[in-house]
Amino acid sequence: MKTKLIAMALGALGTLASFQTAAHHSFAAEFDANSPVHVTGTVVKVDWTNPHTYFMLEVENEDGSYDEWAFEMGSPNGLMRRGWKRDTLKIGTEVIVRGTQARDGSFKGNVQTVVIADTCQRLFAGTSQRDFNENDSPKEDCEL
Amino acid sequence: MFELKYSALVKPAFLAMAISTALTTSMVKAQDEDAPSTPTPRLPDGTVDLGGNGVWSLPWITNFAARMPDYQEGDQPPMRPWTAAMWEYNKSNNVKYDPEGFCLPPGGPRSMGTPYPAEIIQDRDRIVIIFEGGGHVWREIHMDGRPHPEDPNPTYFGHSVGHWEGDTLVVDTVGFNEKTWIDFGGYMHTDQLHTVERISRPDKETLHYEAVIDDPGAYFEPWTVSWDIRWSENQELQDYICQENNKFLLDMMDDYGQPFFQKTEGL
Repeated sequence: MKTKLIAMALGALGTLASFQTAAHHSFAAEFDANSPVHVTGTVVKVDWTNPHTYFMLEVENEDGSYDEWAFEMGSPNGLMRRGWKRDTLKIGTEVIVRGTQARDGSFKGNVQTVVIADTCQRLFAGTSQRDFNENDSPKEDCEL
Repeated sequence: MFELKYSALVKPAFLAMAISTALTTSMVKAQDEDAPSTPTPRLPDGTVDLGGNGVWSLPWITNFAARMPDYQEGDQPPMRPWTAAMWEYNKSNNVKYDPEGFCLPPGGPRSMGTPYPAEIIQDRDRIVIIFEGGGHVWREIHMDGRPHPEDPNPTYFGHSVGHWEGDTLVVDTVGFNEKTWIDFGGYMHTDQLHTVERISRPDKETLHYEAVIDDPGAYFEPWTVSWDIRWSENQELQDYICQENNKFLLDMMDDYGQPFFQKTEGL
């Protein structure tokens, strides 16, 4: 499995002024808008809970070791309005995640988009982060 | 449907579709300007119907100041010094102590500008607003002409009485507790808060919401906010139980670097 962790120096994620969807708590209190995350890994657990859903992602490092990330998405009601089901993300699926890392620097992130590696299907995570421009191509994610 | 599903192969088709959608949208818009909007729905007795087969898509209003009339960048409500100091403090810690982040109810006018939709249910002697968000809460507006209690016990939503002025529902509320904020950005209030909300439905698709925030304990004078709320036909409220798994709180640190809950010292 080809995996990569890219700490992008993009300023794009820094502009979170337009809240398109909802969060019940302060995004900025928990996550660092200047620490974007872009990782590929395998889903090992899904928590379909309020006020946020989570999935755990096993990410392989260059040296063959693994990190387990906890990724936060929107609440089930918000995700269902975006077409998600509780089993949209299945255990064992390889996905590419874009999001933002927690302020404390732990392997915890808030998700912006999830791309299913096999199909290049992109899912928006229903968080308060800006949705990607619909004209952005998910191909870039797939070719990681 | 997912927001977007396409591969490189269907991308040209998608673009063509997007262009045709854009054209159609602009044509519809042009027609809209000429055609009258869908009339305000009414109950059999002529009263404005605030419901129907759908829900109100509440906007997420994070900064109430920006909803004041003639707002310009940087304008603030007329805060007393302590309110201004608390606002600065709340801002300095990224509003981490926002009660709604604790899954507590938004209370007051904030409930009409908090994530997730709402329904307004008109009963004979009362109007009930049910909220999907804000902890899955509701508020009740007495329409039977009763006065406020002499000395109400403070609550998250206070005591509301309403009446119709023409086609506008006017709701007067007192008896708030001090456990909520005015908005996400950290404007606070006291239990002297008194709100007067004016709710109208100029057409089927629009709810116009206005609130006077009158709290001499926190503000030098009353200030007004307003916004429009869009109707979402055929939508339904869903389940949202914020209290279930609020990891935000479990991980939160206080100002001294101690876990907000499960403190290890200084209790």
